[in-house]
Amino acid sequence: MLQSWGVQLMTMLTVTLSVLIFSFFFLIYTNMIHVGDKIGGELRLIVYLESELGPQQQDDLKKKITSFRKVERIVFISPEEAFAQLGKQLGTDRDVLEDLDASFLPYSVEIYPHKNLKDLTHIKEFSDYLENLPDTIKVQYGHGWVERFGYFTKLLRFVVIISGFLLILTTMFMVSSTLRLTLYARQKELKVLRYLGATNGYIEGPVLLEGFTLGVLGATSGLFALFFLFQWIKSHFSGPGLMNLFEINFLPWPYCAIILFCSVLFCTFGSLLSIRKFLKI
Amino acid sequence: MQENTMEKPTFTFQPTPEDISTQTGAVMVELVKVTKIYPPDVVALRNVSFTARRGEIIFLTGASGAGKSTLLKLLCRQERPTKGLIEINGTDINKLKSAATQRLRQNIGVAYQDFRLLPRQSVYQNIAMAMEVQFKSVKEIRQRVTELLDKLSLIEKRNKPAGKLSRGEQQRVVIARAVANAPPLLLADEPTGNLDSNTTLLVMGLFHELNESGSAIIIATHDKSIYEGSNHRQFELHQGEITQIT
Repeated sequence: MLQSWGVQLMTMLTVTLSVLIFSFFFLIYTNMIHVGDKIGGELRLIVYLESELGPQQQDDLKKKITSFRKVERIVFISPEEAFAQLGKQLGTDRDVLEDLDASFLPYSVEIYPHKNLKDLTHIKEFSDYLENLPDTIKVQYGHGWVERFGYFTKLLRFVVIISGFLLILTTMFMVSSTLRLTLYARQKELKVLRYLGATNGYIEGPVLLEGFTLGVLGATSGLFALFFLFQWIKSHFSGPGLMNLFEINFLPWPYCAIILFCSVLFCTFGSLLSIRKFLKI
Repeated sequence: MQENTMEKPTFTFQPTPEDISTQTGAVMVELVKVTKIYPPDVVALRNVSFTARRGEIIFLTGASGAGKSTLLKLLCRQERPTKGLIEINGTDINKLKSAATQRLRQNIGVAYQDFRLLPRQSVYQNIAMAMEVQFKSVKEIRQRVTELLDKLSLIEKRNKPAGKLSRGEQQRVVIARAVANAPPLLLADEPTGNLDSNTTLLVMGLFHELNESGSAIIIATHDKSIYEGSNHRQFELHQGEITQIT
């Protein structure tokens, strides 16, 4: 196999690049989930009601809401409570409310969805449902950016899946093709080995080891490259701005281990594909 | 000269009771009406039948194209017969699956006419390869290969790439590789075709030594000097048929 160092190096670099591309998008995705959790924590839907609900009606409404989606909590707000809240929000400008009565504010319900990305990305759907409930005047939630955030997350998930496929294709088929080229170059030697009675294991062993090694080296280099890229981005883009708004983290080590394991597995499988043809008696 | 490390050869590809498998005189190779036709219609062998016993040497003679090499290729399952039965150690070798074929080949030493050496590998590596595929120990390989190199006057060439050797030297390397595992069955295709008379004697001495330890040897040759006057059986092939048995 030493005759084809250049080809092996190119294959390893391709594996490295594929791992880097995939893990880069995956890194963004995991951080988006983290951001989503954070936004979700602060997000609530406010349902304005036509009139005050009695305890039985409140229970009915709660059931209707939770039957559509499980939520973290539901809080019924009276106009007085809303008035007090508004005064608190206005702070020093609360004197503008002095001549007003709390009754101008409607009864409302605050719904806190679960802090996960799925609930967050389906917030519009949830809002539409609440809008159609009896006694509802209006539903308010976050802002338009919540939806845009949802769409962006969906797009990112798609990119992660595509780059995941790229990773599989590259590791498996690049490794398989490279090793097949090497094996073609060694065809004569393999034929002689077959005539001498070499077992499948004897012939497969070095090839599988090569695929395994390419996987380990390629994936490790890819993850290291990602780490340095992450550090570089963090150091160059830190300061006031978006990066400070949300804390970004590197991939947790179990994810790195899974990426490494899968890459090695695909590379080894790729090497197995390459040798199959040469094992025929 | 090195100490002889050759063990008594036994077949391992087919589990057979030890007393039968090593018994001198037991049938080792049996061909029954074997025909080989290469596409489209080149008849290489026609209805060839013979039996080779353990501890026997058989010479296959005949003109070029008579079918000698084809017969040897059929015996090591490099080719399959068009018709007929080939049994080795009581097993129809054309029904063997992949793993059993590998074991069969490990039990047959073949000295190819076209050598089939790896030109970039050293003489030592080419011979050792036959033992490595059987996962023999490094010590055993070193000992046996050195012994063979010594016997075939190749010791000084041990580190030379096989491709840089003369044809006569390459032929000796092929023979060393074929006998390295002391196989129960040895097939040699024109083993002395490129050798001078002295080296021919060396090679034949090696074959006889292997034969005395119980191996059956089938030699395809044009070289009358190695079979004339011998008391071993000779089969003459003519246009794919055995025409004369002496």
